[in-house]
Amino acid sequence: MHPRNATLVAFCDAEAGQGRSRRISTHLEKCEECRRRLRRIRSEKDQLSAGATEAAMDSRQGLTAVLSAIGAWRNSRNSAGASQLTRRLRREIETYFGSPAVVALERPGMRSEELLGQASAMFDVFLGEEAAEAVRDQLLSGLAEARPLEETCR
Amino acid sequence: MTHKIDLGGIESAPRWILTFLGAYLAVDLLVLYLWNAAGQAFPMQASGDSSPSLSVTAMACVDLWLCLVVLRSFRAGAPLRPAWMLITLAAGARAASGIFAPLLGANWLLNPLVWSGHADPGLLDAIRYAALFTGGPVALVLLAAAMLAGLRILRKYGFWARPHAADWALCAVVCLFVVCRFVEAGAASLAGRQIAAEDWIALAGLPVLCVLILEAALLRQSVARMGNGLISQCWAAFMYGIFLTGFGELALWVVPHYTRTWPMATVESLLRCATAAVFALAPACQVAAQRRATKPAGSQPADLATGVPALAR
Repeated sequence: MHPRNATLVAFCDAEAGQGRSRRISTHLEKCEECRRRLRRIRSEKDQLSAGATEAAMDSRQGLTAVLSAIGAWRNSRNSAGASQLTRRLRREIETYFGSPAVVALERPGMRSEELLGQASAMFDVFLGEEAAEAVRDQLLSGLAEARPLEETCR
Repeated sequence: MTHKIDLGGIESAPRWILTFLGAYLAVDLLVLYLWNAAGQAFPMQASGDSSPSLSVTAMACVDLWLCLVVLRSFRAGAPLRPAWMLITLAAGARAASGIFAPLLGANWLLNPLVWSGHADPGLLDAIRYAALFTGGPVALVLLAAAMLAGLRILRKYGFWARPHAADWALCAVVCLFVVCRFVEAGAASLAGRQIAAEDWIALAGLPVLCVLILEAALLRQSVARMGNGLISQCWAAFMYGIFLTGFGELALWVVPHYTRTWPMATVESLLRCATAAVFALAPACQVAAQRRATKPAGSQPADLATGVPALAR
């Protein structure tokens, strides 16, 4: 019975274990097809290793810079989105309940998601489900559009 | 700079009600002024039989319709649905009383019982008393239960504060007024004077009024903790409606003790209409809040994507 590709890859990386490696070696001596598959795996592995090293050698600094730029952009996007959501929530709570309600609801250091959860529950109770759903849609409309953009950047 | 006031759609109901109330008060006060300026030379017309006037009945019907709209928006199991159900029933009781007391409870041409020859005076009186009882004590009990349910929800969401000394003082004044009314009625009864059934019906609702005033005081604290938003305005309208009911009862009892020259029937009609309008404002504000939420996106907040760098787009 021929070993699977994954087993041959493990054999190639010396990760197949002693007993299995011995059995594969015995099989390879008799099986031309498996020897051909092993050669192909080894050559692809060599190509990949060579390419990765070359890329890392060539563009290490540039890649680091790009990654850190993406990280910084994502962080700023997340915090900007959170603060935008908090601002919107405050405005909606003020519109439907009033400014003291914002003060009563919002605790120092409260995350925008928590505030959204509490405000949503209040909108559900006092406005009814349909209206509360509409308020939530309005609150998240711009934020929802921004997410795919963030993902395309990854 | 001019502001265009939108009066289209059900979301403009609060504006319509306030406009109607303002016009009604202005006309009534003008008539009272003219009447006084003319040296009270002509008599002021009023029904005088405790039946709600047409304006009060119309406002009660508007109130009921708006309450039904609000009630439909709260699905079964929603925490505020029981409160709105009771509020709707109270509004229905007021509207039914306003329609049936003068229509079926009076001996007049448009009464179907008169047409069909069943206009027995006893039956007409019974219908009228039943209608007055429904629009009085029954509506007040339903409203008190509704406010209790509403206050429980407000408390659950942190909009709760203990009544202040002023609130207790107000409750004490209303309780004292109620005691005075009962003592007066008891004394009159003991003296052998006959007390009209309408007065007994009015008396029956007064203890509930004490409870309602206490609830209104609690509502005042809750609304103060909320602010001046659209939903707060709804609950504030209930609070003002209850206070106005109490004030109306007090004024209608106190004023005749000091002056006999005031046209009390007109003053009563004015007070009742103002109260009915303020009660109708409550569901109107709720509807306005709900319609604002479900309005198509015309005034949506700025798009966040505008802040995304061009490279990332």
